[in-house]
Amino acid sequence: MSLILENIGRRVGRNWIVRHLQLEVAEGECLALLGPSGCGKSSTLRLIAGLDQADEGTIFIKGKDVTTVSPVDRRIGMVFQSYALFPHLTVAENLALGLRVRKFSATDQQKRVASILNLMQLEDHARQRPAQLSGGQRQRVALARALLRDPLVYLLDEPMSNLDAQLREDLRPELRRLILKDGQPVVYVTHDQHEAMAMAHRIGVMRDGQLEQVGSPQELYHQPTSTFVASFIGRPQINLLPAESGIIKAIRPEDLKLSSQGLPCRLIHREWLGTSQLWLLESPRGQLRMLTAGDTSIPANIQLEWSTKKEHLFDANSGLRSKYPTS
Amino acid sequence: MIRTRNLWITVLLLWSLAPLLWQLYTSFCSNESLIHTFATHQHRWTLENYRQVLTANPPFWRYLLNSAFVGISSTGLTLLLAIPAAYSLVKVPQNFARGARLFLLGAALFPYVLLFLALLEIARSLNLGNNLLALSFPYAALSMPLAVLLLSSAFRDLPSEIEEAARLEGLGLWQRLRWVLIPLIGPATASTAILVFLFSWNEYPIALTWISTTDLLTLPVAIARIAGSSVYSIPYGAYAAATVLGSLPLLLLVIIFQRQIVSGLTQGAIKG
Repeated sequence: MSLILENIGRRVGRNWIVRHLQLEVAEGECLALLGPSGCGKSSTLRLIAGLDQADEGTIFIKGKDVTTVSPVDRRIGMVFQSYALFPHLTVAENLALGLRVRKFSATDQQKRVASILNLMQLEDHARQRPAQLSGGQRQRVALARALLRDPLVYLLDEPMSNLDAQLREDLRPELRRLILKDGQPVVYVTHDQHEAMAMAHRIGVMRDGQLEQVGSPQELYHQPTSTFVASFIGRPQINLLPAESGIIKAIRPEDLKLSSQGLPCRLIHREWLGTSQLWLLESPRGQLRMLTAGDTSIPANIQLEWSTKKEHLFDANSGLRSKYPTS
Repeated sequence: MIRTRNLWITVLLLWSLAPLLWQLYTSFCSNESLIHTFATHQHRWTLENYRQVLTANPPFWRYLLNSAFVGISSTGLTLLLAIPAAYSLVKVPQNFARGARLFLLGAALFPYVLLFLALLEIARSLNLGNNLLALSFPYAALSMPLAVLLLSSAFRDLPSEIEEAARLEGLGLWQRLRWVLIPLIGPATASTAILVFLFSWNEYPIALTWISTTDLLTLPVAIARIAGSSVYSIPYGAYAAATVLGSLPLLLLVIIFQRQIVSGLTQGAIKG
């Protein structure tokens, strides 16, 4: 494992904004930290980068304890949410500044900047300032700067959140290829589960400064360990039925089926999603979301059933999983 | 709406510019025509006042140079000390910074004239009289509070991610200041520099008491001497000419730096 966080914690005043964080990222692996805003995912990234000091725990990069090492010496390639380009410098100067202070010769600087500009298809913009670039171009400059660091770890903090939705989807494969090309561990912070699933090999879901669950996108979807993960992963959201004798039953919208003798429901809203449609139903057991094929017509009497094999069971007090679906 | 606004602007411009324009007018008038305003004179317009001021001993440009020297050295000294102070004020714990800012504000608002006797004592005991460079010490000291406040708010407005990116790139503290932060607070630095320069250019009581050698006088003192050079009359024309000459460099400075002050250098630095 080439990036290891051992029981990492960070305190601001009396509040722990990150605590008991246990995480390992392998070489060439992209791990996404996913969670609502304020859950501590960006703080975790800052701890790895060394921009903030951990109040407890140890951080290892390539087997070396870097907990008290300065950010420069950790060799981090970081892309900030705002990109944090130097606004008074041209693109080429932005890229060369770090090389210059790290004492690369002038010819080396030129060579490396030229080749990264070429890789990023930014040659035409070398003499422009960040303000003259589009959002996508700025992101590429920020990424180019990170690549030039020859980093041991890549950290990306919501690198897509300033781009429009279409561009975001277009850029995903390219970004993924670039950050994984030199086989270093990547930590990718996002609040967008689709992005996390598209970019990452594994996803760590965070909540209130703690890791709730770490696993592959499939694991998180099919075997969420808590109601929080279950309702955070998967859209439309999972249905959490009201607790009965200390147990919360949860069922995915696509696992609900129409039947002739099931739970009677009333349709209150319908959303067309292309190949499928989302029904919002009122039932004796609360509101239910149901995903059904696009050509399903609405029956006069809606009655629902589902296989008990598809039920996720959680403890009503702790919100933790008590039984896995059997299939 | 627009008409009333224009009216207000005109009134304000007249209010602030009229004395200056009157001074400009006076400087080109012969002394006779000044005394008999409404009488007709064949030789109303004259450059005699300027000739008189510029050929006096020492010539007037000598004072301009003195003032420029003091202005530049006080501005330089102030920025040299205020920039690091302002930067650290952003980095120290916030409670301490809040207290320090309050203290600085108090110092900035303090009427400095109350200090000039004490300063004179200090100048005497340290032998700092009649030394232009020494004059920039009190000027820099008196300008520091305001300069630190202005610059530290400029530092605070910079997005912290820019400095963090520089840290990750391997830039040390001084490299970050030199290559990233100081260029980015350029506009604030320019306006602070103008304010300090202006203060030093206009300062009277300290300059009056610290400098007595005629060759070393700064503008305000020199102009005052011209005004009081004769017991029997006030040389309005020469006085006005000196004032006009003394204002020109400032006017020039403001015009040159105007763009810098206004320019939004950090525009687009952060989000798109």
